[in-house]
Amino acid sequence: MRRDFKRHLDSLAGLYEFSEAIMAEKKLPDGVRFPVHLAMEELFVNMVHYNPTVTTDIEVTVSVDGVVRVSLVDNGGAEFDVTVKREVDTDSPLEERKPGGLGVHLVQNLVDTLEYEYQDGRGEVIFTKGSGTEDV
Amino acid sequence: MFEIEKGSGGEVSCRGRLDAAQCATAESFLDELEGAITLDFNELEYISSAGLGILLKTQKRLAGSGAGLKIINVNNHIHDVFRYSGFHAIFDIHAKE
Repeated sequence: MRRDFKRHLDSLAGLYEFSEAIMAEKKLPDGVRFPVHLAMEELFVNMVHYNPTVTTDIEVTVSVDGVVRVSLVDNGGAEFDVTVKREVDTDSPLEERKPGGLGVHLVQNLVDTLEYEYQDGRGEVIFTKGSGTEDV
Repeated sequence: MFEIEKGSGGEVSCRGRLDAAQCATAESFLDELEGAITLDFNELEYISSAGLGILLKTQKRLAGSGAGLKIINVNNHIHDVFRYSGFHAIFDIHAKE
């Protein structure tokens, strides 16, 4: 199922309701729903923050067929490959700790597969998360 | 929906979903607090990296006066987020029993 969302943080509530309805219908466990919601938010917010002059909606497609598969399409945004491992500060003492990059770091750790494609100004992120019945 | 308020025992209760759209609410509340603070996450279902940033900012500010945040009743999923973020080394975190 696909829905387009305005490029704004106010869209997050609708983004959650959209994906939650699909996963709840399939009776997926919290151990799947939580990381899917988190990954969707982090990727959506990235598209919003890093392309402030773009006005197109962000296309979100969610399907459940053995696994949850989510696609986010950003038309007109800059290229940003979320599959690239970047240096993230998770070890420094408090006074030196910086929060930057945690979002993508969490996505990379919490989803099962993560792909990125960019061509002619169209960026698409696709991730999957297992939909097993166990509470992961 | 996200709510934050001070409880009768002095602890700060967080409820709902702390996503990027709700961070301003959490930040303005936490910015007013001083000293040792206990955050009760018993009814907090969700937090994203934006919320982590607010917690980190608050912890740094409080550490300057020798205090800090204690976070209690953390659910398994938020606990995983803390673990992947390396927050256990810089926060006093207690899982939900």
